[in-house]
Amino acid sequence: MKRNAMTIVIGAVLVVIFALLLFVFQVRRSEVAIVTTFEKPTAQPYDQPGAYFKWPWPIQKVYKFDQRIQNFEGKFRQTFTADNNNLIVTIYTGWRISDAKLFYPKFQGSVPAAQRILEGMLSSAQNAVIGKHNLSDFVNADPKELKFDAVENEIESAIQSELSTNDYGIRLEFLGFKKIELPESVTQTVFDRMKNERQKLISKTENEGKAEAQVIESAADRQAAETIANADAAATRIRGEGEAAAARVLPVFQQNPELANYLLRIEALKQSLNQRATLIFDERTPPFDLFLNFPTNAPGR
Amino acid sequence: MERNVQKNGLVNLVAAVMIFIVAFVVTSYVNSLAGQACAIFLGLGVLVAFAGWFQMRLQENERLEKLEFEELARARGETTLFAAKDAEIFPAQRARAQFEKFFVPGFGVLLFLLEAGAAWLLWRWISKTDNGIVPDRAMASLSLFGILALLLFLLGRFSVTIARLENHRLLRPSASFLLAGAYICFVTALGIAGTRAEFPRVDFYVARALCLLLGLMAAEMLVTLLLEIYRPRLKGKIARPLYESRLVGLLAQPESLFTTAAQALDYQFGFKVSETWFFQLLQKNLPVLLVAQLAVLFLSTGVVFIEPGEQAVLERFGRPVGVLEPGAHLKWPWPADRIYRYRTEQIQTFVVGYLSDAQSESVNTILWSVSHAKEDNFLVGNRAPVTIKNEGTDTNDLFKAPPVSLIAVSIPVQFQITNVMDWAYRNADPTNLLQDLATRAVVHFLAGVDLNDVMSHSRQEAAQTLREQIQATANAIRLGAKITFVGLQDIHPPTPVAADYEKVVGAEQTKLAAILNAQAQAIRTNALAGARAFTTTNVADALRQRLEVSAYARAALFTNQIPAFAAAPSVYRQRAYFQMFAEATGRARKYILLVTNTSDVVIFNLEDKIREDLLNLNVPSSPNNSSP
Repeated sequence: MKRNAMTIVIGAVLVVIFALLLFVFQVRRSEVAIVTTFEKPTAQPYDQPGAYFKWPWPIQKVYKFDQRIQNFEGKFRQTFTADNNNLIVTIYTGWRISDAKLFYPKFQGSVPAAQRILEGMLSSAQNAVIGKHNLSDFVNADPKELKFDAVENEIESAIQSELSTNDYGIRLEFLGFKKIELPESVTQTVFDRMKNERQKLISKTENEGKAEAQVIESAADRQAAETIANADAAATRIRGEGEAAAARVLPVFQQNPELANYLLRIEALKQSLNQRATLIFDERTPPFDLFLNFPTNAPGR
Repeated sequence: MERNVQKNGLVNLVAAVMIFIVAFVVTSYVNSLAGQACAIFLGLGVLVAFAGWFQMRLQENERLEKLEFEELARARGETTLFAAKDAEIFPAQRARAQFEKFFVPGFGVLLFLLEAGAAWLLWRWISKTDNGIVPDRAMASLSLFGILALLLFLLGRFSVTIARLENHRLLRPSASFLLAGAYICFVTALGIAGTRAEFPRVDFYVARALCLLLGLMAAEMLVTLLLEIYRPRLKGKIARPLYESRLVGLLAQPESLFTTAAQALDYQFGFKVSETWFFQLLQKNLPVLLVAQLAVLFLSTGVVFIEPGEQAVLERFGRPVGVLEPGAHLKWPWPADRIYRYRTEQIQTFVVGYLSDAQSESVNTILWSVSHAKEDNFLVGNRAPVTIKNEGTDTNDLFKAPPVSLIAVSIPVQFQITNVMDWAYRNADPTNLLQDLATRAVVHFLAGVDLNDVMSHSRQEAAQTLREQIQATANAIRLGAKITFVGLQDIHPPTPVAADYEKVVGAEQTKLAAILNAQAQAIRTNALAGARAFTTTNVADALRQRLEVSAYARAALFTNQIPAFAAAPSVYRQRAYFQMFAEATGRARKYILLVTNTSDVVIFNLEDKIREDLLNLNVPSSPNNSSP
């Protein structure tokens, strides 16, 4: 008997749990639920958290959706700017289910299906808006010229308008550029240009070095020449002073000009014979005139 | 009664086939991993049920054949028939024997291959696949698996009971498969229910467990096949069908485990352990103990421990009722209360523009010119737009290159959850959203600055600006996070152009080297010039000195020479002359002509002699002067 009671209690608990699973459903704060009776949506969506009653499957079915902001990232798509530049752009979006009753039939409750629609709108709006702007609106060293926010707002407005017109039951909360890149071929040319810029800078720097070195060297040469010239001038002046000093003793020689001139001639002769010289004398030249009286040299012999 | 066994076998077969089909369809519908394994198990059950039913048919044919033969023998009273060989007289018996001899082992091998193959392939598949249960279909599938479990249980229980009767032995393999299939369907339903109860991995783990079961069944079948070779064949003893799994039997009738365990314990301890009060109590109250265990498990969901550094959102029937701080807390048991944990104290990090891999993590030296991870190149402004004259035209059109450059950055962003309610309920995937916001802020910031500025002096300001921008955007959408740090730890030109940037640094050094070299040269030039100037003036000074001193000396000498000259002018003159002559011509070559005949003509060759080595010098002949 005791065992039967136990069995009954356990069975009752199991039945209650099973019944709860069949007849009750919970909605979290992050969720919104649609209940369908024989596939027809009934009443308003359950967008407040709590536990709710329902008839078991297959009479009623519960479809729950996440009503928080969902992230969606568009494809990395190539597009054209107004000034004929190519850009590859990825845009991320934050969207949410604003009306589950509209959302459910439009997309069969499928979030991926909604995101596919969103992708189409995003692609169209992105191409249209970016095509109206120049590349400098997206990338510009002057932040005041940048129109990043304005472009994003234009794309968002275009999508928002599309969504509200067609009553998709979803709302775009925000969007932004996640990636802006150039196509591979253009990227390569930008790399080339950056390299050439560097080469230009390298050449400039190196040649500036050479020029400055040349300036320094020539200045040094000039300064050296100036120094030497000054020294030469000073030397000339000093030599002149020497000459002047030497000239002061000339009156001494004036006491006997004949002797002075004779000594000068002798000195000049001595200086001139100081180098290699070949002298040819005859016997009458003193001191060789001594040879005249030698018997071997007697005239007429 | 004998006729019913075949019917029971057929009913089991048909039921197994239908339930297998339904289970397969439901599994495909709900996309359950455990359901896949369950369907495979039920499919194996279909094969076993078919083999059993076929063997039953053969046995029934044999039995009828024997009856007919005995009837015929009694009616004719002849014995000639007995003279013939058994094979000719009893074709049904021979067919059954052939079946057991060849088909059953072959079927055993087939079962082994199917079980082993299914276990291996299914294990690999569920490890790789991203398939998960379709939430909207979980409830219906759960119910259907529950119904299948009930049907199998009723049919299996009935068949197991029938199989205990004499001559119904062959019903046991399929009956065990049906009953075990009921439990497996139930477990599969629990796996799907687990998904509904926010435990999505339960289905995966159930599938893994069923794979193990299939593997064990394959191992058991292999052992059975090997032992079958050495099994003694005793005439008259009914053999256990080779395709009957003891493991499946144990699974279907776990109570038989007690009998087996009792026998083992009795043998081991040498007395009747199975008759002790504890063993009896355990055997009687096992279901109650299991239920009590489940109840304890259920009640344990009413206590929750929040780890240090965590906060948890407590939901009651889906409604958030509070935030739990670290420590122990009581709550209503599942499914009324549920908690969702978040690491609110932990500083979490992600990196923008840089995707590290194992190879890059192990590198200790990070260079611009060597790619060290997957780096994104960001567009960055270029303050000096490049204009190049179009050489191909006569006009002055200028080609204006896009005013952009590229830059690689690695920006770690650290954040902390500050408002767990916002973090949990405002965004479906807040971490990824924060990464998107941060990436957008980086893209936006870099697009509006000059490459050289951001790489040099405005680097610190850039990090601060980025942090403020990311925080402002996160606050605008109430993300519930605080950005604690943004760093520009790695910012450099893209790898293909990095080497050229390094060369610029090299050029600066070259420039400096050239200047230093020129300065050294200048110092040398000036020093030498100074020295030369000093020498020149000194030489001049010396000359001046010499001139002056020499002049005075000569004057003094002359003053002294005058009296001597006055005393003997001609002698003094001659003396002076000969002194000079001897001194000056001492080394000179002299020719003295002692003329005897004045009409002679004397010719002197006063040319210098040419050195002999110059005469021997070989001069190459010019082509114009070459003679034929």
